[in-house]
Amino acid sequence: MKKLFGILAMTLLISACATNPDGTKLDTSGETKLEAYNRAMFNFNYQLDKKVIKPVAKGYKAVTNQFFRDRVTNVFNNLEEPADAINNLLQGNLKDSGVSVTRFAVNSTLGLLGMFDVAKGWNMPRKKADFDGTMAKYCVPDGPFVVMPVIGPSTPRYLAGWGVDSLASPTFWALYDVDDDGVQAAAYGAYALKYLNKRAEAMTLLDDLEKNSVDFYTTMKSAFMQNRQKYVSLCGAEKDATAPSYDFDFDEDFDDMEE
Amino acid sequence: MKKLVVFLASFLFFAHASHAAVTPSQAEDFIKEVTKTGIEQIINSDVSQAEKDKRFEKLFNKYLDLDFIGRFVLGRYWKTSTPQQRKDFINAYRELNIKTWSKRFDEFKGKSFNFNGTSPSNSANQIFVNTTVNMGEGAPAKVVWRVKDTNGELKVVDIIIENVSLAITARNEYTAYIKKAPNGVDDLIADLKKRGQ
Repeated sequence: MKKLFGILAMTLLISACATNPDGTKLDTSGETKLEAYNRAMFNFNYQLDKKVIKPVAKGYKAVTNQFFRDRVTNVFNNLEEPADAINNLLQGNLKDSGVSVTRFAVNSTLGLLGMFDVAKGWNMPRKKADFDGTMAKYCVPDGPFVVMPVIGPSTPRYLAGWGVDSLASPTFWALYDVDDDGVQAAAYGAYALKYLNKRAEAMTLLDDLEKNSVDFYTTMKSAFMQNRQKYVSLCGAEKDATAPSYDFDFDEDFDDMEE
Repeated sequence: MKKLVVFLASFLFFAHASHAAVTPSQAEDFIKEVTKTGIEQIINSDVSQAEKDKRFEKLFNKYLDLDFIGRFVLGRYWKTSTPQQRKDFINAYRELNIKTWSKRFDEFKGKSFNFNGTSPSNSANQIFVNTTVNMGEGAPAKVVWRVKDTNGELKVVDIIIENVSLAITARNEYTAYIKKAPNGVDDLIADLKKRGQ
């Protein structure tokens, strides 16, 4: 149990601001209270990032090159393929699930533990799917936009999905099941590297976004909520929809989009 | 009865057809022109950054309908703004966008856009052009261009990157800002001007 808590705390700590946030659709009930909390927590995360995480990520970027960071990105993406396969299956996308299984097999071997995306060259690009999307498919509602400590932008369903998906990660089982100190240290190190690498790769984008935003919190919220629509469609609605989620009416006042 | 159905059907057809002024191939050709111009004349060209900025500004003004976007982005505050405020806002928004994107544009060096057809829009005379760009590792980035036909002239009115609409994001951000700012739209204009310098 203690171990599990350790894992959770560690995961929370490291995943930091690596998520890319945004937001729309806020439930009107208790909106102001929730927003006040969200903004305060957003500010806390921002300061933590500014004083601790970002400087470390900058250092990491200084001592690594793009080639190295690309390999790191690929290795961790590859570790998410089992979760992609399961979620694609649960969402009824049999073909995509097969692609995820094949990709994992090919890239883990020929791609040298996932460092190189060989399958992509064979015209099998990644079919990303997560448990958040699976729950949405089975009509579990999203809930309001919530900023979590360290993790950042989230929704209750997104958070639950993220927890379930990490169960499909080999890193998780290394921490949970193996008592060897070396393996444990390696697994913690892997988590740290994963999120540090993500933060480093998002450096320019986030810096730019911040500099050009008059309300950084709202920008992150808006972008997060819109981006989620890509993987998530409530009750599989997107397939039947005649228009994509971003096909808003330019002439209409949609106050629900505002906050 | 049958006649009535035919009549209604033809009516619907024509009503619909009158909205579909811009054809998928026209829209796709238009975006091909935009991306080609941007890549050939700006990103891959061997000129100074100042010259690149100048060319980018020209491209931006030529292909984007910023008056239309700006009106949407200001949301309900557009209606309550004075003509001067509207003008100042559009100008500040234009400057900021040109500056931001001119700088970021270099990231597309050596990249090319793949065209994956179009999707219809519920809005009249508008259509989405679907493209992807390979940005290094991972899945290619999905970039969707919203194209509007104004009396035969095509313009970009929104760019959607990985499902994130730039217009919606800006609208959410600016309306939230105005709501909190003591001087409303004027504060926003001043802030945008500061950031665009």
